[in-house]
Amino acid sequence: MIDRLRDLVVRLTSPLVWRLPGHAPRKLEGFARAEAGSRIDLLAAAHATTDVGRRARYLRHALDETRHAAMFARRAGELRTARGLAPAGPPQADTEDLFARLGEVGFLAFVHRGEARGRRQFEVYAAHFARRGDARTAALFEGILADERVHEAYTRALLVELCGERGATRAVRRAGWWAAWRGWRRVGRGLAHGLYAATMTVVYLALAPLAWLPLRLRARRARRRWLTAGGPPAGAA
Amino acid sequence: MAAVLGVSGTYHDAAAALVVDGVLVAAIQEERLSGIKNDPALPRQAMQACLARAGLTAAALDRVVFYEDPYAKLERVVASTLGNFPRSLRQFPRAMATQLGSKVWVIDQLADLLGVARAKVGHVAHHQAHAASAFFTSRYPAAAVLTVDGVGEAVSTALWHGRDRALTCLGEVHYPHSLGLLYAALTAFLGFEVNEGEYKVMGLAAFGTPRFAAELDRVIHLADDGSFELELSYFGYLADPELGFGPRLEELLGPRRTPYRPWDLAGSADDRRYADVAASVQQVTERALVGLARAARARTGADALCLAGGVALNAVANARLARAAGFADVYVHPAAGDAGGAVGAAILGALELGDPRPAALTTAALGVDVDAGAAADLARAMGLTVTTSADPAVDVATRLDAGAVLGFCAGRSEWGPRALGMRSLLASPRDPDVRDKLNRAVKRREPFRPFAPAVLAERLPDYFAGTADDLTPFMTTVVPVRADAAGLAAVTHVDGTARVQSVTATSSPALHAVLAALAAGGAPPIALNTSLNGAGEPIVARAVDAIGFLLAHPIDGLVVDDLLITRGPA
Repeated sequence: MIDRLRDLVVRLTSPLVWRLPGHAPRKLEGFARAEAGSRIDLLAAAHATTDVGRRARYLRHALDETRHAAMFARRAGELRTARGLAPAGPPQADTEDLFARLGEVGFLAFVHRGEARGRRQFEVYAAHFARRGDARTAALFEGILADERVHEAYTRALLVELCGERGATRAVRRAGWWAAWRGWRRVGRGLAHGLYAATMTVVYLALAPLAWLPLRLRARRARRRWLTAGGPPAGAA
Repeated sequence: MAAVLGVSGTYHDAAAALVVDGVLVAAIQEERLSGIKNDPALPRQAMQACLARAGLTAAALDRVVFYEDPYAKLERVVASTLGNFPRSLRQFPRAMATQLGSKVWVIDQLADLLGVARAKVGHVAHHQAHAASAFFTSRYPAAAVLTVDGVGEAVSTALWHGRDRALTCLGEVHYPHSLGLLYAALTAFLGFEVNEGEYKVMGLAAFGTPRFAAELDRVIHLADDGSFELELSYFGYLADPELGFGPRLEELLGPRRTPYRPWDLAGSADDRRYADVAASVQQVTERALVGLARAARARTGADALCLAGGVALNAVANARLARAAGFADVYVHPAAGDAGGAVGAAILGALELGDPRPAALTTAALGVDVDAGAAADLARAMGLTVTTSADPAVDVATRLDAGAVLGFCAGRSEWGPRALGMRSLLASPRDPDVRDKLNRAVKRREPFRPFAPAVLAERLPDYFAGTADDLTPFMTTVVPVRADAAGLAAVTHVDGTARVQSVTATSSPALHAVLAALAAGGAPPIALNTSLNGAGEPIVARAVDAIGFLLAHPIDGLVVDDLLITRGPA
C-alpha cells in the first residue's frame, strides 16, 4: 500500500521536480550516494555470509553498485558543467550495518525490496527523460534498470532458497515494516535535531556574557607561544 | 603482564591496537574492515579483529585506553566557540550536538561495545598518545619527540623528551595556532578534501615555485624558540571548522580553486599559480618543522628525533628535517595520523600496568591475514582463473619485468596509510606510461601524483642518493634519485626525488622475495609500489576486497600468497 502510494507520488511529481533549478544533478548525486552506500553493505554481506555462492553474488552486486554510483556521479557532473555549477566530487557514502542488524534473510529481503522500488522509480524516470528528449539521462536510467531487474530477481531467488516461497514473502513484508519504522525514526531525528539546534542557539546567546573568559585566556596564552606542560611523565610505571 | 586495547576514533581514521605482555600484537584501522574511507566510527570491527588475532575475548582485557580526553576536548570546543561570539552562532549548535550527542560519552560507549566494566576504560591525552606511538615503537633509548597535527584536545604541537619508559612534555603550542590547520586550510584553498588531500598538496608542490612564501610569512609567524603563531584573521575555522580559510587569505593569494575541476598544469596559468601556492605552503611548513626540530634538539640534547601527528606524514618535510635539524636519526611512526594514537594509547596503558616497553617496530604487517583458500573459492565462483605457483616470487618478478600490473596480497595487512608490500599494486618502475595508466585508469587520481618505488634495502644506494634508515622502511621520507640510475622514470617525481621504501626480509618478506627475484633475473631490484585500492576507497584488507578490486580495475592479475588469479587464462 505504502509502496503503491509512493510510486504514484513519483509518477505525478517527477515532471515537476526534475525541472526545478539545480535539482537534476542533486538528485543524481543522491542516487550516486545511495548506490555507494549499498556497495558498502553488500561488501559487508560478502564478508559475512558463510556460503561462497552467495558471497560471489553479493560481490558482483557490489561491483554493479560501484559502477552505478560512478555513472550517476558522471551524469550529475555533466549536468553541473552544462549549467555552470561547480563540480560536486565523488559520492560520500555511509552504511547502516544492515547485514549485522537484520541477519542474512532480513538483509536479502531489505535489498530485494529496495531494488524493486528502485526499478519502479527508474522506469518512471527513464520514460520521463525519453519524453523530454534527454536521451543521455534516459539511457542512464535504462542502463541501470537492466541491472536492477537482475538484482531484484536474484535476491528473491536467494530468499526462496533460504526460507521457501512463503518465508520469502513474509521476510519482504517484515523488511517493509522495518523500513517504515526506520523512516519514522528518521523523521523523529530530524525534528529532534531542529529542536536541539533551536535550544542550543538560546543557550549560546545566554552564555554570551561568558565569552570574555576564553578571550582573556587566549590573549594571555598568545604572549607565550610555548606553554609548559605540567604533570608527571607519561608512560612511567 | 597485561592485555591492553588502545582505541582511536570519533573524528577520523578510527583504529584499534592491542598490546599483550608488552608486545604490539595487532593494529588495525577500521576503514580497512568497514570499507568506509577514513571511517571515524568507533572501531568495532578493528577491536574484534585485534582480539581475534591474540585469541582473546574482551573479558580478558586488563584495560581499554582511548586516545583522547573527551572532557578536555569538550571544554576546548565550548571555550573556543564562546570565545568567537557572535561569529560562531551557527557552529555552536552543531558542535554541541556532536560533542554532547556522542563524543563525550565515548568511554561509556566503548565499555558497552566491548562488554567490559566502565572502570577498565580510561583515556590519555591526544598528543601523549601520538608521542607514545612514535617513541615507544622506535629503537631509541632516548629521543626528542615532536607531535604536530591539527588539534587534539587543546594542543596542536608538543615537544617531548622520551627516555626509556617515560615521556616528559617540555612544551606545547595550543589551538588555534596549528601547523596542521594551516596546511589543512591551504589544502581546502587548493580545492582538495581536508584530511585526505594533504598528500596531493605535497605532490603538487614539486610542480611550483614558492613565490608566495613572503605572503605566507604574514599568515604564520615563526619564533626563534621554534614555536609559531598564526595570524588568525586569515582563517575561518574559529567560526566554523568546515571553513578552513577566510576571505583575507583569498585577498592575499588570489581566488581559491574550484574543487574537483580537472588539473591542467601545462595549459592553465591558474593551475600553475595553485602549484606555486602549494610549493609555498610546503616551504613554510618545512621551515616551521625545522624550527621545531632544532628547538627539540636544543632542549633535549638528544641525537634522535621521533615524530607523530598528521603533519609527520609529510614525507618531503621529513626528508628536510633529517638533513637540517642536526639529529643523527629520525623516525616517524608509520601511522602518524590519528589512527596511530591507538597504538600510543595501548602502549601507555601497558607501561602503566608494569609491562615492558615494546620492541622497535620492524614491520607494518600488524593487520588481518588474507585467506588464500577463501580467495581461491571466491575467484572460482566468479569465473576467474586460479593457478598455484611453485615459486610465486619468481613468477611475479617475471610478469612485472614484462610490464604487467599486479595486485599483491601477502600475509597481514599494513598498519598506516602506506601500502608496503602486503596489500600493494606492483608494476615495473621503468615506463612512465605505466604511471599515467595507473593514475588515469586504475587509481583515477590527479596526473601530478607520483608513485613510490620499493627497493631491496641493501641496494638502495645503487639507485638513490642515500641509505636505508629509520624512515625508509615505512615510506615516510623522500630521497633523490641518482642521476646515473636508469629505468626509474615511473617512480621519479618531477623534482627528481622518490618516496622510497627500503625492503628487508623482516619488513615485508613476500615483497623482498619478489625484489630479490628481479635482481637474480638481472633487473633492478625495484618495483613501483602503490596501494591496492580504488578511487575513494580504503586499501583492501581481505580476499573479497582484493578480488573485487581485480574485477573492477584494468590490471593484469592478482597475487594472493602463492595464488595467481586472472580474468582469462593465467
